[in-house]
Amino acid sequence: MQAGLNNRERTSSMPASLKNDYLSAPDDALVGWAQKGDTEAFEQLVFRHRDKIYARAMMMMRNEQEALDLSQEAWVKSWQRLHQFHGDSSFATWMTRIVINLCLDQIRRQKKMRAESFEQIEEDLGGVERQMAVEHVNPTEGLEKDELRKRIDEAMAKLTEAHRTVLVMHEFQGLEYKEIAKRVDISIGTVMSRLFYARRRMASLLQGLRRERSE
Amino acid sequence: MKANFMSDRQLLEIMAYSDGELDAPRRHAVEKLIAEDPAAAALHQELTACSTVLRAHEPLGTVPETREFYWSQIQRRIDAAEQAAARAKAPIAPVFGWLRWLAPAIGVAAVALVVTYQQRPGPTILAVGEASSMTFTSEADGVTISWIN
Repeated sequence: MQAGLNNRERTSSMPASLKNDYLSAPDDALVGWAQKGDTEAFEQLVFRHRDKIYARAMMMMRNEQEALDLSQEAWVKSWQRLHQFHGDSSFATWMTRIVINLCLDQIRRQKKMRAESFEQIEEDLGGVERQMAVEHVNPTEGLEKDELRKRIDEAMAKLTEAHRTVLVMHEFQGLEYKEIAKRVDISIGTVMSRLFYARRRMASLLQGLRRERSE
Repeated sequence: MKANFMSDRQLLEIMAYSDGELDAPRRHAVEKLIAEDPAAAALHQELTACSTVLRAHEPLGTVPETREFYWSQIQRRIDAAEQAAARAKAPIAPVFGWLRWLAPAIGVAAVALVVTYQQRPGPTILAVGEASSMTFTSEADGVTISWIN
């Protein structure tokens, strides 16, 4: 990025009508302006997507301070690499990819994955999730959206970091098994067994919520 | 209904089928299994429903800081990173540029000088005080002579 963040003179002297453009402009336009060094446009992008980026980091890290720090770092990285964004995906998707990568780096640094290796043995196929009864009905039927989101968040907190990571990358990031394996540096078989466990556990936890409500 | 009558491979393939990750031959095999085995069909339904629900209800989060404070922290980090990058890229002044190339040569010359003089155990003449005395030492002969005016 050539311009740096010291180009406020231009935007501060901008007519109010142009400033309003930032509010109504689509992401693509804001990205285009930001790529030319327009910090107001970039700030608008931050404002629009900050909650989503923070939520994604929070889902991965389960720690408010770490999520906050990593989400801000993601915005710094995105400013520095904005010239690499060519619109192949949406800006939000591109941003979530950056924050997920930062979370993975952080997790690797903390070596949490390795510390959990003992738990993973317990949760391997043939373990508890193989014995769980299959939930025949939609476990979320009749639940309010907000309640369901909250419950999903709580259920995800009960997964180990290794399982949660794979689940987030597959279900929310929309990545294929191969891509997850590459990013997390595990085999496709491990991705599949972790995802299988995570989904079955989530189904069970969500079904538990339905039972609680009906009692 | 339990899923434990199926092999591990079948369990994972049912999931991969629901995720569209199987090639055509494996896909047909899983479709056949689902059609024939109620447990496989139930598992497929559960995995698919779970995935659908998760994707439609991603947990939301709200940055626990004001917009201004959050942005100011990002701005500060960007500025710091750019200043660091600028320092790293800053051109070196011409004089210092020459010194950079000259420094190794000066170092080599100094070492060579020290080595050369250490290898010649010749007599050493030391002036003591304000030229009022002079000392001559010959290490080879083990003699030291001093003149005092």
